[in-house]
Amino acid sequence: MARLALDAETLRRALLPIVGERRVSVRESDLVSYARDMWPRNLIGLHAGRRPGDLPHAVVWPESEREVAAIVKVARSLGAPIIPYGGGSGVCGGAVPILGGITVDLKRMNEIRSIHRDDMLVDVEAGANGERFERELNRRGCTLGHFPSSIYCSTVGGWLACRAAGQMSTKYGKIEDRVAGLSVVTGRGELVRTDGPARAHRGPGWNQLVVGSEGTLGIITSARLQVSPSPEVRILRGFEVQDLASGVEAIRRVLQRGLRPAVVRLYDELDTLINHLPIFARKSAAAASEDEELLARAFRTGPVPRAERGALPEIPPREQIAPTASGLTGRLLGLLGPSTPPARRRLAGRLRRGALSAVLARPGLVNGLAAPLAERLSRHGCRLIVGLEGSRIRTEIEARLVLGELERAGATDLGDEPGRQWLAHRYDVSYKMSPVFRAGLFVDTMEVAATWERLLDLHRAVKQAIAQHAVVMAHFSHAYPEGCSIYFTFFARATDTDQALRAYDAIWRDGMAAASRVGGTISHHHGIGLLKGPAMSAEHREAMVILRALKATMDPDGIMNPGKLGLPAAPGAAPGSAAPDPAGDLATAELAAAIPAEAGS
Amino acid sequence: VIASADELRIALEAVVGTMHVERPPAALLRRGGSARPAAWVVHPGSAPEVAELLALAHRHRAAVIPLGSGTRATPVRRSSVVVPVRPRIYLDSRRMCHVLHLDETSLVVHVQVGLTGLALERILAPRGLTLGDYPPSSLGSTIGGLLSVRTPGKSSTRHGFVEDAVLGVSAVLADGRTVHTRVAPRRASGPDLARVLCGSEGTLAFLTAAVLRIHRRPEARFLASHALPSFEDALAAVRLALREEAAPAALRVYDGAEARAHLGESVCGEAEAVLVVATSGPTDLAACDRDLVASATSALGGRPLGPEVAERWWRRRTGQEQAGTPAPPSMQVTAPPSRQAEVYRAVLASCAEARASARAHASRFAADGAVEFFTLTEPTGEVLTGERLAEVRTAAERAAAAAGAILLGSEYAEFADYAADLERRLDPEDILNPGA
Repeated sequence: MARLALDAETLRRALLPIVGERRVSVRESDLVSYARDMWPRNLIGLHAGRRPGDLPHAVVWPESEREVAAIVKVARSLGAPIIPYGGGSGVCGGAVPILGGITVDLKRMNEIRSIHRDDMLVDVEAGANGERFERELNRRGCTLGHFPSSIYCSTVGGWLACRAAGQMSTKYGKIEDRVAGLSVVTGRGELVRTDGPARAHRGPGWNQLVVGSEGTLGIITSARLQVSPSPEVRILRGFEVQDLASGVEAIRRVLQRGLRPAVVRLYDELDTLINHLPIFARKSAAAASEDEELLARAFRTGPVPRAERGALPEIPPREQIAPTASGLTGRLLGLLGPSTPPARRRLAGRLRRGALSAVLARPGLVNGLAAPLAERLSRHGCRLIVGLEGSRIRTEIEARLVLGELERAGATDLGDEPGRQWLAHRYDVSYKMSPVFRAGLFVDTMEVAATWERLLDLHRAVKQAIAQHAVVMAHFSHAYPEGCSIYFTFFARATDTDQALRAYDAIWRDGMAAASRVGGTISHHHGIGLLKGPAMSAEHREAMVILRALKATMDPDGIMNPGKLGLPAAPGAAPGSAAPDPAGDLATAELAAAIPAEAGS
Repeated sequence: VIASADELRIALEAVVGTMHVERPPAALLRRGGSARPAAWVVHPGSAPEVAELLALAHRHRAAVIPLGSGTRATPVRRSSVVVPVRPRIYLDSRRMCHVLHLDETSLVVHVQVGLTGLALERILAPRGLTLGDYPPSSLGSTIGGLLSVRTPGKSSTRHGFVEDAVLGVSAVLADGRTVHTRVAPRRASGPDLARVLCGSEGTLAFLTAAVLRIHRRPEARFLASHALPSFEDALAAVRLALREEAAPAALRVYDGAEARAHLGESVCGEAEAVLVVATSGPTDLAACDRDLVASATSALGGRPLGPEVAERWWRRRTGQEQAGTPAPPSMQVTAPPSRQAEVYRAVLASCAEARASARAHASRFAADGAVEFFTLTEPTGEVLTGERLAEVRTAAERAAAAAGAILLGSEYAEFADYAADLERRLDPEDILNPGA
């Protein structure tokens, strides 16, 4: 993909009258900063000292909707691509330019315009930072109920652009469930608004067409969102279930009875182990190998914000329950069979080191080790975290029903501590990436979803696909009456950057093909960006016709965020031309061949 | 180009068989005005037949007009578009009335669009399943009709709008291409493409099947009714209860005149209002919701009414009692919570100015608003009809809109150009429901 031959100085001059001298830049330091988001594939190269490949030609910081519209009009007249930019926390390359163009950073448009307490609605500009927005709502006795782990470094506009989900989505819904209205500057350079309940209007449901469009149709400049009263109580409990299948079944029963816990997280065997392995929980003993120490540090350190502060009020005080750590450690050791305590400890150490060196070296070893390990682990259960919050009376009754349903499903109550631990560390993941990469590993996450009927198939298929290349673990969260999402975390080490990139691409190619094959979606809440573009035709098949028609309507010149969502890369490219191949060796044709077309739906 | 009605019939019969092509009833022909184009009603039996029919229509630039069970309200005409005289094919979907797949694990049903909502409920009921708390009166139309024409009546407080139950649709585009949107509980792979087709009144594609979310029949149901000092107090009580996260299955607020017309003269005083509520779900939660509504009403000066009031309302809502069913309301508007009282007062004031009178009830309460139904009457209580009704209603609608209500059939004005452009791209020959 060639960078367009645009003259940066011409762009700057055209933008100057709109935003003035200080809010447009063509300086290289700015261009380099805006050439990336948090897409792990780019981080692999960056950590190896490589420069980001494609820079924008200019960066601009508008302060009003009128300025945004004027910028799009200028870009349209010059044939320059537009890349909207919020917090830059996306993990799919959605804000990465592929042809250059103008990156439009919306962070200066960050006002909460009004909060309508009677209607429980809030009008907010797209550039508002997630955590500040939530804190401001809290001050007024409201909550959006949207807590992505990126809350400190993402914006409202970014959430809407990629259909984000927060950790409490089971009660509050994903961001698309909270949208009551939008203002959008379309690719035609016009500001258009939706307002009022969609159910009262005729024609296409525009809110749901703009949400998730990742800047390919227009720039979302502000939104009207539904808010809820701040919760009066929060109840968090940990459970242990016999195995994954019985945990999934328990969650399904809870949801289908009409109960809506805010948090439901079921960890598979390896995720349960990793999250509670002693070396990850506290400083490891001197016996740890160098690799082990690196990994442990990666998981432990980093500038992790305190989850209880800021975005969230303190948990309402409940009676202290003695930590069950000894019980858990005991169970972990119990994995290794009956033996005397010192022997158990030695065995545990050996198991840990085995697992970790496998993690860090060759995938072949991983599979060899993972299978017996998983089998052993499966005899010792999976961790399940359940949380409810809301108005006092109703939440307490609902909690009793939820906990009762889980106990009937054979789950063992572990008390408050696991829930409290999760709450305290729930934003950590976004801050652990950097140390992990510094440790010479790469890590990424794949969030897929399916209806309950296909959910365990989806888990098996995707896990198998990824396990050929990396160590993979998963948790089930974001549950609905009709299904659930699965969040896979995988990490691997490669001998050099090129090998790492090859492995990374292979993981995604195989993982997404597996998800489509068993009837799941390739993305539940991270979006598509560049990463998943090649899999879009398998995801939507013939219905891509509708997406292309929508694109041509909203952005006739094809200037809006070209190449994302599997749409054509070049401005003015005829709708229907093949999507670009951003990953170099991720061939679209190859991928398409790997996914058999299904008849019907 | 097909010249005569007979040639068109032969072409259509080749697709669906001689038994499934018939002459349109007189009522349909009258809609065509003075010109009498070739017109046939066709009953396709499957999605591939629909695809062939649309491809045929596309080739011959014939207009394709969807027919469901015929219950749909006459859509608001967009403008005085002159529909050119060209052959017409009325597509009647009622033969496509099969349940394709019932997934009781995920509580998802895949149905063809010709099935009516009520027929689907009858299939689901023996299995302890239901579409949701939708008013049965709204389920008489086919699934295709329910999804194509958006009216606020098709919603429930607990399960939202019928469209919100859609997990995926299958449709045939104007040129005969078939599309299926994929099914997932939620996804983040671009816009929700099913939302392009829902609510489009058959102008963008012909829906052939839908995948819908269904529910287990609730374990318990409670009914209750309360009298409150005024309509405004009743609306405030609803807001208070919803703020406490009560999730009733159905909720309705009557003003004094409407309550006495619907529920009997003795139900409340003339200036009072009546709130009726049904809650359902797990027994404890349904009881909790009932009690939350009760305490909200008592906080606003309400008093409980006897059980027979709510039971009568429920029997009538579920179609078990026909006797004394009041005439359908003269107009309906949607209003956000903060505007509901104001819209009500504005309509009453506008009617008083026209020396008429209005009574109202509000229902379909959701976080973003509720629907207010008005019956316009003479001061004597006689329901308005004909020109007098049209005149009073036009003024009342204007007053309601000024007070912040959204009228039935409104469009997002700023998106009108985009909607028209999208239609041109998906249906370049304008064969699908032209003029609608």
